[in-house]
Amino acid sequence: MQRMAYSNPAPAQSPPLHHPVPQHVSTVPQLRSPPPPAQQQPQASYGYPQQASQGAPGAGYMQPGFGFINDPTAQMGFQVGKNAVMAGHDYMERNFDRYVNVSALKHYFNVSNSYVANKLYIVLFPWRHRPWSRQQRISNNGQDGLFLPPREDINSPDMYIPLMAFVTYILVSTILAGLRGAFHPELLGVIATTAFAIVIFEILGLKLGCYILSISNESQLLDLVAYSGYKFVGIIVTIVISEIINKGGGTGGWAGWIVFAYTFLANAFFLLRSLKYVLLPDTSPNSNSSTSYTIARSQRTRRSQFLFFYSYIVQLIFMWILSRQEGTGPSKSVA
Amino acid sequence: MFLFGLTSLLKVCILLTNAIAILSEDRFLARIGWSSNVDPGFGNAQDTASIKARTVHLITSVRTLMRFPLMFINTFIIIYELILG
Repeated sequence: MQRMAYSNPAPAQSPPLHHPVPQHVSTVPQLRSPPPPAQQQPQASYGYPQQASQGAPGAGYMQPGFGFINDPTAQMGFQVGKNAVMAGHDYMERNFDRYVNVSALKHYFNVSNSYVANKLYIVLFPWRHRPWSRQQRISNNGQDGLFLPPREDINSPDMYIPLMAFVTYILVSTILAGLRGAFHPELLGVIATTAFAIVIFEILGLKLGCYILSISNESQLLDLVAYSGYKFVGIIVTIVISEIINKGGGTGGWAGWIVFAYTFLANAFFLLRSLKYVLLPDTSPNSNSSTSYTIARSQRTRRSQFLFFYSYIVQLIFMWILSRQEGTGPSKSVA
Repeated sequence: MFLFGLTSLLKVCILLTNAIAILSEDRFLARIGWSSNVDPGFGNAQDTASIKARTVHLITSVRTLMRFPLMFINTFIIIYELILG
């Protein structure tokens, strides 16, 4: 029945009772010349195509285009969409706690001012720091081994400094690029994505190494993420100082390399000392004897080698990638 | 906003996973001694803690788990490359 509507030379007052009238605008080009624009509105319901072969197809589409907001079906569509979005939002809020451990995150952000200052000092100058072990709270409900929060224990890793350092690194890199005249808005995204990908890569490599060497990881994943984020502090110091000294020459030049080498060594030492208690758990007195004495000597040296490899070589590669900046300033000195 | 330079990285990772997934168990891995079901021989327990055993176990688990999803991921990437260049 619908096919007959196309072949009928329909007059303007064709009675709608004889055949069903399609309510949508069909896109089959009609062989007749289009009606004059003044009569388009009442003829839209007959299903004739609104686009002319030449002329203004845009004007033909705009007329029903502006009127669709007042259309009750469009209103209903809006309502349905809004309900769907709100339902999805509620579902997310209800299930957010299952995917993200909020209380564990709160433990990492439980820092104080003195902790932040001392920790930054340790990250940049770790050679005089004496006790590196994390303190454990001996609690009475059988849950010993619960680590103290960063507020009370200087050796506890936190997520505040790595997160702030990450964001500061992105902003400082972008500002320095802007000072050099090399800024474009995608630079923010590129730097953020690069740094994010490097952190993820590093954690994946560490997890792979832990699995292959049968290191049972008692500390959480967020600890490793936190330790991986401490190198951003050194990188920020490197690029800021080399920017001041080189005056736009990037991080090349002997001053930049010296600062980079110092921060790299400081970060590597810091990681070596901190991760010793995470990756080589054979000196902790609280662990069971079954896990600490079945570690063969070759395995322990292998683990030490792995820790050394991770702290120095892997960090060197990643810190070098992250602190690379091209210099376009006037005083670009050669290394 | 996050996927600026990451598409090439993602494709490299997918390619490497494909490379691991297409290793044939009996034609290749058994020939070089990297098969997953070794014969214990003298009746000892299977050694599961050496580096080689763990890497073999890792390769086997990657092959078992990722063979099925990789079909869809590869198809998706092929269509993406065909359409968007």
